[in-house]
Amino acid sequence: MSEDKKLTAENAAAENISDEKEAAMDKIANESQSAYINKMHLYGRIWTLLALAAIMAVPVLFCIHLNTWPKASNVFKALASVAPLFYITAIIETTAYTPLLGTGGMYLSFVTGNISNLKLPCALSAMEAAHVKSTSDEGEVITTISIAVSSIVTTAILALFVLAFRPVLPYFTKEDSFFAPAFKQVLPALFGALGAQYFTKHWKISLLPILALVIFLIFSPGTGSGTLIPIGVVLSIVWCLVLYKLKWL
Amino acid sequence: MTDFKESGFMYAVGVMVIAVVMGQSIFFLVKAYKRGIELGMSKSSLKETMVSSALFTVAPALAIVATILALSGSLGLVLPWIRLSVIGNISQETAAASAALDTVGGSISQEVTDPNQFTLITWVMTLGSILPLIILPLFLKKMQKGINKAVKKSTKDNSKLVDSLAAAAFIGLISAFIARAIDGKGTAGNNPYYGKTFGDGAGIMSVTTLVVAVAVMLILSKIAEKHHIKWLETFAMPISMFAAMGVAILMAQVLPADIAYLEWRG
Repeated sequence: MSEDKKLTAENAAAENISDEKEAAMDKIANESQSAYINKMHLYGRIWTLLALAAIMAVPVLFCIHLNTWPKASNVFKALASVAPLFYITAIIETTAYTPLLGTGGMYLSFVTGNISNLKLPCALSAMEAAHVKSTSDEGEVITTISIAVSSIVTTAILALFVLAFRPVLPYFTKEDSFFAPAFKQVLPALFGALGAQYFTKHWKISLLPILALVIFLIFSPGTGSGTLIPIGVVLSIVWCLVLYKLKWL
Repeated sequence: MTDFKESGFMYAVGVMVIAVVMGQSIFFLVKAYKRGIELGMSKSSLKETMVSSALFTVAPALAIVATILALSGSLGLVLPWIRLSVIGNISQETAAASAALDTVGGSISQEVTDPNQFTLITWVMTLGSILPLIILPLFLKKMQKGINKAVKKSTKDNSKLVDSLAAAAFIGLISAFIARAIDGKGTAGNNPYYGKTFGDGAGIMSVTTLVVAVAVMLILSKIAEKHHIKWLETFAMPISMFAAMGVAILMAQVLPADIAYLEWRG
């Protein structure tokens, strides 16, 4: 605290003792909050690194157990087509959610994922119900509690259903099963449903990349999604910028 | 022979990952709860937050279960389960798996039976998704300071551009799969009933599935919006997906095989 502020605080104290008391309590509150946030950063870092280790262990353990390792060139070839998009998304998401999810909430939600469709709306509705702002001390508590509970419930529900479904899975996925045609069409079903809302909301952006890729496939029908994804992403981003420049967005 | 994708070892690996996630969530929950009490927040309001967050989560979590089931045909249950319990989200994981299979000439619309391909997919999914877990421990503290300042300065205009660019990137990804469903050449299947010709190329089946998925999704979201049905908003995606997959089954049952399985690009 600067000399000036001290002086004004003293002046205020001369006039009103309760004012000084309040200011002192504010100062204590601020210090305890930043101590709490600092501790959350420390815990967050430790747990994130633990989670990272567990997540990285999965492919390693699979490879050791199955006694087979994929060609590194294939791993990097596949990554080259999807990772740029994923990594840019990661940078945008970590930036965009920082002011909304609080410190504890950030570390938690990026480990457990499903942020935009679950953790973010869950935290927002919890703050609304509790009448707190994400930037306040209480907001930090509410977002962390809400995201922690949401993560626990999600993880438990997924585990329960996976275990329950385990015995019947083979009947669904056998090549000659009644359901086989459905599993063959997972991709159009999934991306049709996911895309529908984007297409209506951003139809000006959507039109060009879809059309361009359909025409591309007329000439080169065997092109796989690994090649088509980066083409589509770059095309639609450039197209979006063009629309913005032309003020058609 | 038991399926290697579903072996006890695989489940053990899954349980290990889940344990870490659960441990972190419980740890943070306890810390935040204690802090709330310290701040003088009432126990009942903290409990209310917990109960309402748990209830809020049930529907979206069931929607995630649905996507695990959809991927299980090709990848088994364990891998999609792990990937969607940590970091993952459905579009990213599916795209990563497709890109991985693409490098070895496989396809996600068939069951992955080669362990080597399976490990390839696991690596690509994992390496594709871990960046946030590297960014946060290194930069979150600095980012918080910078962003809080930037948020105050941002104008309405450039935040709209940022939103549109994020949507555009995702649209680009979706377009790749849409285009393949419309006129992409598939990899031949090995269906015992329909032989080598029944693959996953674009044809009557894929276009119908696509159109049904889009149509059902649009109708359901319109209904949910008009009548303010919250649960329908959440379930519109999985319902549309299953409806479209259901139509594929119906076509396989009802239509003559040479029409249902017609693929224009082979």
